[in-house]
Amino acid sequence: MRSGHHDFVDEFRPTSRACWIVAISILFWLPVRGEAQSSSDAINDVLPRVVKIYGAGGLRNLEAYGTGFLVSPEGHIATVWSHVLDNFAVTVVLNDGRRFEASVLGFEPQLDLAVLKLDEENLELPYFDVNNSITAGPGSFVLGFSNMFNVAAGDEPVSVIHGVIAAKTELITRRGTYESPYDGEVYIVDAATNNSGAAGGVLTTRDGQLLGMIGKELRNAGSNTWVNYAVPIQELGHAIEQIISGQFDNEPTEDPATSEDSLQVSPLNFGLVLIPDVINRTPAYIEAVLPKSPAARAGIQPDDLVLFVNDELVDSCRSFRQELSRLELGDELRLVLRRGEQLITVELPIEQQANVP
Amino acid sequence: MSYRYWKRSSRCRIGGDRTRPSLSIGIGQVARFLVLVLAAGMLAGNCPVVEAQDSEPNLESLEERAFKEAAALVAPSVVRIETVGGLDRVGNVLTGTAATTGVIVSSDGEIITSSFNFVSDPASILVTLMDGRRFPARIVSNDRSKMLTLLKVEANGLRPAIAARTSSFRVGQWSIAMGRTYDFKTPNVSVGIVSALHRIWGKAVQTDAKVSPVNYGGPLVDIHGRVIGVLVPLSPDKDDETAGVEWYDSGIGFAIPLQDVYETLDRLRTGEDLHPGLLGITFRVASRYSGQPTIDRVRYNSPAGDAGLQSDDILKELDGKPVSRLAQARQILGTKYAGESVKVSVQRGEETVGAEVTLVAKLEPYEPAFLGVLPARFPDDDPQSPPGVRLRYVFDQGPAAEAGLSADDRIVKFNGDDVEDETSLLDMVGRLRPGDSAIVDFQRNDEPMQANLTLAEVPEEILGRLKTSPIPSAGTAEDQDEPQPTGRITDKLAGFEQSYWAYVPDDYNPRYEYGLMVWVHPGGDTLEGTIYKSFREVCDSRGIILVAPKAQKVNGWTAEEGEFVRSLVEVFESRYNIDANRVFLHGFASGAQFSYQLAFKYRELFRGVVGIAAPPLVRPPENLPQFRLQILMMCGDKDNLFPLVERTTAGLRSMKFPVSFVRIPGHGHQYPGAEQVEQIGIWADQLDRI
Repeated sequence: MRSGHHDFVDEFRPTSRACWIVAISILFWLPVRGEAQSSSDAINDVLPRVVKIYGAGGLRNLEAYGTGFLVSPEGHIATVWSHVLDNFAVTVVLNDGRRFEASVLGFEPQLDLAVLKLDEENLELPYFDVNNSITAGPGSFVLGFSNMFNVAAGDEPVSVIHGVIAAKTELITRRGTYESPYDGEVYIVDAATNNSGAAGGVLTTRDGQLLGMIGKELRNAGSNTWVNYAVPIQELGHAIEQIISGQFDNEPTEDPATSEDSLQVSPLNFGLVLIPDVINRTPAYIEAVLPKSPAARAGIQPDDLVLFVNDELVDSCRSFRQELSRLELGDELRLVLRRGEQLITVELPIEQQANVP
Repeated sequence: MSYRYWKRSSRCRIGGDRTRPSLSIGIGQVARFLVLVLAAGMLAGNCPVVEAQDSEPNLESLEERAFKEAAALVAPSVVRIETVGGLDRVGNVLTGTAATTGVIVSSDGEIITSSFNFVSDPASILVTLMDGRRFPARIVSNDRSKMLTLLKVEANGLRPAIAARTSSFRVGQWSIAMGRTYDFKTPNVSVGIVSALHRIWGKAVQTDAKVSPVNYGGPLVDIHGRVIGVLVPLSPDKDDETAGVEWYDSGIGFAIPLQDVYETLDRLRTGEDLHPGLLGITFRVASRYSGQPTIDRVRYNSPAGDAGLQSDDILKELDGKPVSRLAQARQILGTKYAGESVKVSVQRGEETVGAEVTLVAKLEPYEPAFLGVLPARFPDDDPQSPPGVRLRYVFDQGPAAEAGLSADDRIVKFNGDDVEDETSLLDMVGRLRPGDSAIVDFQRNDEPMQANLTLAEVPEEILGRLKTSPIPSAGTAEDQDEPQPTGRITDKLAGFEQSYWAYVPDDYNPRYEYGLMVWVHPGGDTLEGTIYKSFREVCDSRGIILVAPKAQKVNGWTAEEGEFVRSLVEVFESRYNIDANRVFLHGFASGAQFSYQLAFKYRELFRGVVGIAAPPLVRPPENLPQFRLQILMMCGDKDNLFPLVERTTAGLRSMKFPVSFVRIPGHGHQYPGAEQVEQIGIWADQLDRI
């Protein structure tokens, strides 16, 4: 599965990998070199860079407030692309209570990202460098800053909460698990960072270094739980800079699900007949294998249970069909089957299939 | 396992990675740093603020490092579990499809995990180790008390988790909750503290680390990398398999001490499930925390019954520990399994009686006994009514009829005890079983008489006819302080979005106790007209008020709307004179399914349920004397669901619920006609049978 967006992310991977190693050593050596500061110093540093945003909404459980963070001294603000920005003009309240009108400068729907610009000129504001290379792993202390639930209703700064990174993982790990346009890596946090109005806030390290932007409220359909997460700043920095500079890469975007490259193959193309699909999660048991078919040649037998397609767990007949339909010419097809108490791995060739009746 | 071992294993993990040599610093060193920093704090004496030395790591970063190392030490014992196939929904809980977590407890492939991870009853279970090796797993057994499941995979050389001693647990110590659900290479973590010990009746440690389906089955780890316990959802009041899930990520999480798991491992290995141990007694106390634990009922054929415990005994000691409140008794019994024994000491009058009782997994279901009478209904404050129960009707061929009782007789004593009213008679009969004999003293035209009889089972048949109970006329309006509306009503309930409609007989007399029928409409159609037309006459003649909540979305009920129905019933009970023994639910198709759900959930509220053309979807709770529930099921024999409904009847009867079943000949999946409505009326009119 390749898309423009992925290429865009890949561009950043080598740097971020190198940075990661550097970051680890920094994380480790920082305290020793005396560059660390206590959490409360860090909070005083971060708060002036986080802003409250008031815009459209206020009806039917859609809150009319959100959070953003300053990314330039002239008053560029990164935030989440949401209904709050529907009017393209919003009110921004700074940490010290100053109010400014701001307009949407641009947005990147794939990243759920928008950049605003304060209408006021000639400002010298504290801001985050979005080109940082700070990352953190599971167990790292983090701070979350946001206008959650609009409790900071007056002139006061946003709320700060603390927790640790629970995991760094891709939102796409299990397909169909999340409904979000963004499917890259995120920090999962063990604190309730993602609330009403919190989206667009920041996640920082204990000593106030920007790690990522808190995303919209999102439910994990796999475990039926709400997820607290932030999008790493390395995924956003390039897009933020492009919007500010007004230059855009000319990248085609395509929806992988409707990609013309996908072969739309079905189990029958390989000679596999599944058991009747009666409930939502009918396990993908093989009912029969057509003689002389690729499946028969690979040794697949009736009553085998299909567990993985190319390392993607298939928990039902339905998800097996979906996984197969995504295959493209040139992909490999590796199945892991359960036969009794054994796991068996088989590889099947993918060819331009003739239409099997 | 010694510290030396840990240090070595920590090096093993990192040994190959030369870019990060400094990570091999041991836990011991971190601990030493912590001690140093703390000592510095103490030495500083009066100065409350300790400036961290620029050249020294600060406490926060040392803690952070210790968390990461502790997690890394346990990581090899934490496995990822995936399931294939299974149910979408268990009760009100959507089951997940995401990966879950388990903890290795033996080198040859035994894994302990949370039973919640298998509520969907999956077709296949897979375990992935940290190194990526994957194995099919089978369920060996379950601990139904602590909600754990033991899995087995065919693997060797695995690293079992090291248990922290339960005696070392301290409230306030760091605790790290771990799962292997996002990624099989790196466990996910959440950091908190131990919030409490001996929670959930002595079974669990409580933590404020975030516990949810992303780490159920995973370990709760201390700062030294030892496993405090296995994370499970639990609830102090409920014991079904999804209980406690509603508290996910709330800061209230539970873990079963791993040391306790190791102690029961030999029993789990045998493949037999462990069950909570039951004694078979209920208590007569207002709450768990007040009043002496006085035994109310001793269940038939239960360990307590066999040991000779009796009603009115006061529980004094369990296993030699003094018990003065019910909560203490539960705390001691909470960790006991079926098959284990407990020493019970009770006070009976002046003497103290002791017994050693072996607990069981399952009690014989409570089976209500039946005398075969309907008590007459009096206006509450009739000055003419002497003590005792006057009979409105005596069931043909019932025990009372066989012994010669007839309508208008007044029962004054049961087995020698005075009968105050119908509530006390019901209670006395309910303490016996079908087949038990009893002596009834009664009066016929003021003449004392006595009968010996043998109690029977509650009959399944519905009476062909039952004369209505006369409802005295309402009298003058001045009796009523605030006349309540009568006739057909459409309204809303304060605090709820949903609306309802109701029918109160036009000649409603607040001095007469009415039955209450709650109509639960099927998805897609409120059937308001049909129900109103069908039941108006029944309501008038049999003294029943009809109330019909409407689902927020007419296409179906959501589980949360149960609260609306409950509130509606409570409001009607406060507005009108309702006989609590005759409050029942009635539903058709999906409305019937929701009716059963409500009847099983709000057991204190509903005494009956009439379900048409659908079986209950949820497992019925145990039949209990304090929550009497009578069931009427109807289904057309041309309805596709007929065989299923009929089968369910047998299941409910085996649980000793009184079930009447009506087969509607030639009828399909529609709401039935006048004949069945009349039957429902008769059935509802005898819900107060004894």
